[in-house]
Amino acid sequence: MDLAQHDVRLTGPAEAQAMVLAHGFGCDQSMWRYVAPQFADEYRVVLFDHVGAGGADPAAYDPVRHADLAGYADDVIALLDELSLGPVVFVGHSVSAMIGVLAEGRRPDLFDRLVLVGPSPRYVDAPGYRGGFSADEIDELLATMDENYLGWSSVMAPVIMGNAERPELGAELTEAFCRTDPAIARRFARTTFLSDNRADLAGVRAPSLVVQCREDVIAPVEVGRFVHDQLPDSTFALIDAVGHCPNLSAPDELVGAMRQFLGP
Amino acid sequence: MTTQDRARAWAEAPVGLLRLGTDGTILDANDTFWRWTGRADLPVGEGGLRLADVLTVGGRIYWETHVGPLLSLQGTVEEVAVELRGAQGRLPVLLSVARSAADGPVAYDVTLAAARERTRFERELVVARAEAERAAARLQTVQRVTEALSAAAGVEGVRRTVLGAAVRDLGARSASLWLDGARDGLTFAGSVGEHGSVGEHGSVGERGAVELPPLHGQRVVTASDGVVIVPLAGGRSVHGVLVLTPHDRPGDDPPDLAVLAVVGQQAGLALDRAAMHEQSVSVAHELQRAMLEHDLPADPRFTVTSVYRPGVRDLEVGGDWYDAFLVDDRTLAVLVGDVVGRGLQAAITMGQLRTAARVLAGPRTGPAALLDGLDDFVTRRGVGFMATVVYAALDLGTGAMRFACAGHLPPLHLRDGDATFLWEGRSTPLGVPGAGPRGEHEVRLAAGDSVLLYTDGVVERRDRSLQRGLDLLAEAAARSARHGPWTDGLVERSLDSTAHERDDACVLRLRWHP
Repeated sequence: MDLAQHDVRLTGPAEAQAMVLAHGFGCDQSMWRYVAPQFADEYRVVLFDHVGAGGADPAAYDPVRHADLAGYADDVIALLDELSLGPVVFVGHSVSAMIGVLAEGRRPDLFDRLVLVGPSPRYVDAPGYRGGFSADEIDELLATMDENYLGWSSVMAPVIMGNAERPELGAELTEAFCRTDPAIARRFARTTFLSDNRADLAGVRAPSLVVQCREDVIAPVEVGRFVHDQLPDSTFALIDAVGHCPNLSAPDELVGAMRQFLGP
Repeated sequence: MTTQDRARAWAEAPVGLLRLGTDGTILDANDTFWRWTGRADLPVGEGGLRLADVLTVGGRIYWETHVGPLLSLQGTVEEVAVELRGAQGRLPVLLSVARSAADGPVAYDVTLAAARERTRFERELVVARAEAERAAARLQTVQRVTEALSAAAGVEGVRRTVLGAAVRDLGARSASLWLDGARDGLTFAGSVGEHGSVGEHGSVGERGAVELPPLHGQRVVTASDGVVIVPLAGGRSVHGVLVLTPHDRPGDDPPDLAVLAVVGQQAGLALDRAAMHEQSVSVAHELQRAMLEHDLPADPRFTVTSVYRPGVRDLEVGGDWYDAFLVDDRTLAVLVGDVVGRGLQAAITMGQLRTAARVLAGPRTGPAALLDGLDDFVTRRGVGFMATVVYAALDLGTGAMRFACAGHLPPLHLRDGDATFLWEGRSTPLGVPGAGPRGEHEVRLAAGDSVLLYTDGVVERRDRSLQRGLDLLAEAAARSARHGPWTDGLVERSLDSTAHERDDACVLRLRWHP
């Protein structure tokens, strides 16, 4: 596979163990901007965008391959095969936690350890299982996404520097964060929120860390505990953070939990 | 404005105004916001109500996955469409957030502008856009499948095309095809699995447990287990059904029944065409067989033998033909011709030219005069234009052979292991207006001599020149003559053309032994 297809970016010492940071639904690799630099001294840090997000090539999107998370897991496997960095530490946020679980199940040789940040194997409630959402509520999300479809890129125009003297900077930064192709994002939302990967958890062989925020409406604490219970070899870390994106809202807490798990 | 005015403007502004903590907690909000949400009774500040709590669930997920990350990364987000769960039902609002400029801990200032009308309008736009995109995608799919169907050759080609399209273009996980058998209703005609491999006719193992519900005319039917049954309706009757098992993964679109209905019709029409084509092919073969498989004249004074090898490019018959008959007791006529085109039309033209030549031939009609007569026939009847033919009349008593070539390859004269092309007596193909007078020529055969008449399929091949083909034919014929009697293997030996491109070919050999 072509590494440019996923806008792959590598930092850190070439000989160090690789740490692959996979972004979740709704954003791109810029989600890791407060976390990645903190590991760039000890790890070969790999950032990439899933197809449909950020700088990934939208032409690589295949509605058949990417109709379930296995297709995204295959992308990760192809990426790791291409990089051939040896068994990696895979850090998956949100839906990428499950993508990592699926990829590890298929190719355990590529993975040393998994860090699952805000994982949920199933978002929709089922008999005997509380995922937090009803199917109708997922439809509501799709409707919300549709309503923000018109002029999506301009809605998200950032003014991070606000430098009126140098407007060319602003132009360059437009769409710099969390760009998503609306049509792909809508399908990705369906793939993400309607998948059921509970049965895949038991097949994970790599030691895993479940990082759970104190309050998270997307992946509630009980779901994090469920994941921890199902994984054969896992550690559970509840961090003092609110929301679904501790990599942005509480990067130090997340990094602390990861360091404790990964060791010196 | 006085300070008091400003405070009132904040409280009663026509937009909802809030200040949020970094975790989305509402630190303060104006009266408009509380009026819209009807939640003024709830505590605000640390651990209290969050903005996400008053959004619909869809909006809450959107906040967590899209708005929140952007706020962290760029400090501002503008004009996001969400809905408040309000005191009087849902209220569509446009939400803008910016990091607060105030001193102290990081906070966000929020405006919520009611957007009932705008949202209604935008929803219509979104629906219209989605509809337009769906229509464009449908059109593309139908066009792709129709194109493939129009290129499909025969029922077998249609069968493979339909099954292939089912998994490639129509979103099926697997599919099977059932065609109308002559007696026993629908019979299994192949299936295609998840990996796109098309199964063979009647491969019982792949038949699976498909139970066909009764057909309701020509409508696409969805069975209770999600299987979709598409009738393949031709102009007069339903040829069969395509049974699709759709994908059911989270990201898959449901099967588009409107597209399936159109594809079913197109496949039905393609099966109409295929059936008609196959019928015409078989009639053409029948005609050609009737023409070529008649008894050649037998006589102690001569031997006439022929070899016809059909082309393998497709099912169509080619335009090669030959004939040999006694004009009177001492004159033998032999012809080889090639008409333009293939198929039923070519077969009919051959038959007409052959009959015309037989009618025209007579003891006092020389080769040139016979070709003139054929020209006249071609011009008056409008058939056989540009056909080529070689005609030779042999005097069985003297061995004098008069011949003429209308655009055809020259006869090959064989004597004692020598092969000579007879390049005389040549003129244009039949029906060409303004051509000069037809010429003819005479060659005197010795007892035991042979003459070969043949078509271009014998000597022409894409990968060599015509001259090379003629040389090879002469060598092979001479060799064959040296080894005694004529053998059928001559054509094959001289013409080992690659099977996939070879045209039809025929050779007629006349040997005079008075």
